[in-house]
Amino acid sequence: MGRRAQIDNLHGWLFISPAIVIFTVFIFAPMGVAFFISLQKWNMLSPMRFVGLANYVKMIGSDHFWNSVRISMLYVLGTVPVSIGLAMIFAIMLNTIVHGIAFFRIMIYLPVVTSMAAAAIVFQYIFEPTFGLANYVLDVVGLERMMWLNDPNQALVAVVIVGIWKRVGYNTIILLAGLQSIPTYYYEAATIDGASRMQMIRKITIPLLSPVTFFVTVMQIIASLKVFTSIVIMTNGGPARGTDVLPYFLYKNAFEYHKMGYASAVAYFLFGAIFIFTLAQFRFGEKRVHYQ
Amino acid sequence: MMFGRSKRITPVIIAIEIFLLAVVVLINLPFFWMLSTSFKPKPEILSYPPRLFPSAPNFNGYTYVWKLIPLGRYFYNSTVVSISIALSKIVLASLAAYAFAKIRFKGSKQMFYLFLGTMMIPMEVIVIPNYITLNYIGWLDTYRALIVPFVVGAFSIFLLRQFFMQIPRDLDDAAEIDGCGRLRYLFTIIYPLSQSALLTVFLYAFLASWNSFLWPLIVTNSDKMRVIQIGLKALQDSWMIEWNELTAASTVATLPVLIMFFFVQKRFLEGIAITGLKG
Repeated sequence: MGRRAQIDNLHGWLFISPAIVIFTVFIFAPMGVAFFISLQKWNMLSPMRFVGLANYVKMIGSDHFWNSVRISMLYVLGTVPVSIGLAMIFAIMLNTIVHGIAFFRIMIYLPVVTSMAAAAIVFQYIFEPTFGLANYVLDVVGLERMMWLNDPNQALVAVVIVGIWKRVGYNTIILLAGLQSIPTYYYEAATIDGASRMQMIRKITIPLLSPVTFFVTVMQIIASLKVFTSIVIMTNGGPARGTDVLPYFLYKNAFEYHKMGYASAVAYFLFGAIFIFTLAQFRFGEKRVHYQ
Repeated sequence: MMFGRSKRITPVIIAIEIFLLAVVVLINLPFFWMLSTSFKPKPEILSYPPRLFPSAPNFNGYTYVWKLIPLGRYFYNSTVVSISIALSKIVLASLAAYAFAKIRFKGSKQMFYLFLGTMMIPMEVIVIPNYITLNYIGWLDTYRALIVPFVVGAFSIFLLRQFFMQIPRDLDDAAEIDGCGRLRYLFTIIYPLSQSALLTVFLYAFLASWNSFLWPLIVTNSDKMRVIQIGLKALQDSWMIEWNELTAASTVATLPVLIMFFFVQKRFLEGIAITGLKG
């Protein structure tokens, strides 16, 4: 190896070394450590005791765990189709209009940059059953009032609404970028052939947009599996575990009950669930369109 | 024509624009509600039907919250932590990005993919070991705990690498012929050329840090170290707290970020569309 190549090697590794240290200490090593802890019984006070796969066995036999899996799945099913569907409609509309595109893009994105904790507090007030804005709206339209956060099933509906509100802007902006990357001559050709607007959307827009749609869907699923802040602020997982999503279940077991081993097993389960979708994106989402 | 460059204004388009206006009004209603409630006198926060605007706006919510919790301290903590993270991300991520974009070294490709892989590991999964590490080295409830794990990130490295790769090789060569060392080249030539990319990294990092919740919730427990998001949680848990006070604190926690976003939204939204990776 020449002297020049040696220097390049040295410089390259030196320049990335801070990142290597941080990633190793705070990301790669913890992945291993989390697995190690998941094989122990440990409350951080008494010494660790190796229990093999007992934590995983306990997890699979636990009704509370499966309740959390169910709640997380319902949360995903509630947020993903609606937020992607709405975002698709908004993006197509934004791509059509003439005035105020920049304004709409900003305004639709505000919830995304807002702190979830602050937003969740406001939504808690909005969903207040006696004088909240949500029930006022239901009153005005003549629908039956709801108990919202005080009812196990309706609480999930409320946090799902908040989840959609928080993410729809992000999905819209990504989908809009995807739309703008579709060459206009497809539409010009279709216009000459006498295609209608709906036909163009169905036959050109949606198929050509599918890689981007796939991408935002995966991102939305992953974000929904990680929902935490809104739950802590609005419901604490209740009432009656009705909003006890997996990350909250994990947090409670680790930092309130101090069952570090058990919580680590749950963490690995959650990681597996998220990892499946990440892999799907890598495997099937490769041919993502190039924006700009 | 609907999608072409020369859009003509038709009634349909006007209708769509009006519809979108209604949509963004609805989406931003919670912000209006937060502001309006924070200025309401106490009786009006529980009135039904709800009052759109306060009859006599006052600052009682704000002053009360300020007395009840050290909101100023929380705000200061959030600012210190977010700026530290954002600045160190610029420096450390640009070093790595420079290496990946401009230096040919053994294993660079593998390391780059390994770095990208960190984005696939959710915080939720590694909080327990990280908490244990910090507990072990005695960093819990310090600024270090809030800052150090985030001083560099794969997303920032990726973004800057993309940008640095666009800087022409001729410039690198010219600098080398002039005997300009790599660090000096990075800081004196590349930095000025990459202002927009560096600013984007700063903004993303600042925002993510300002809004982060799970990590500070776990690693801080004293008033002195609490950041503003966790302050909101503490406030919410406290006794006899009213909605005008809670929304006042929420406004304080949200406003800096919203104002910042308004100033730089163009760069921000472009960044999202280009990378399409993180929100």
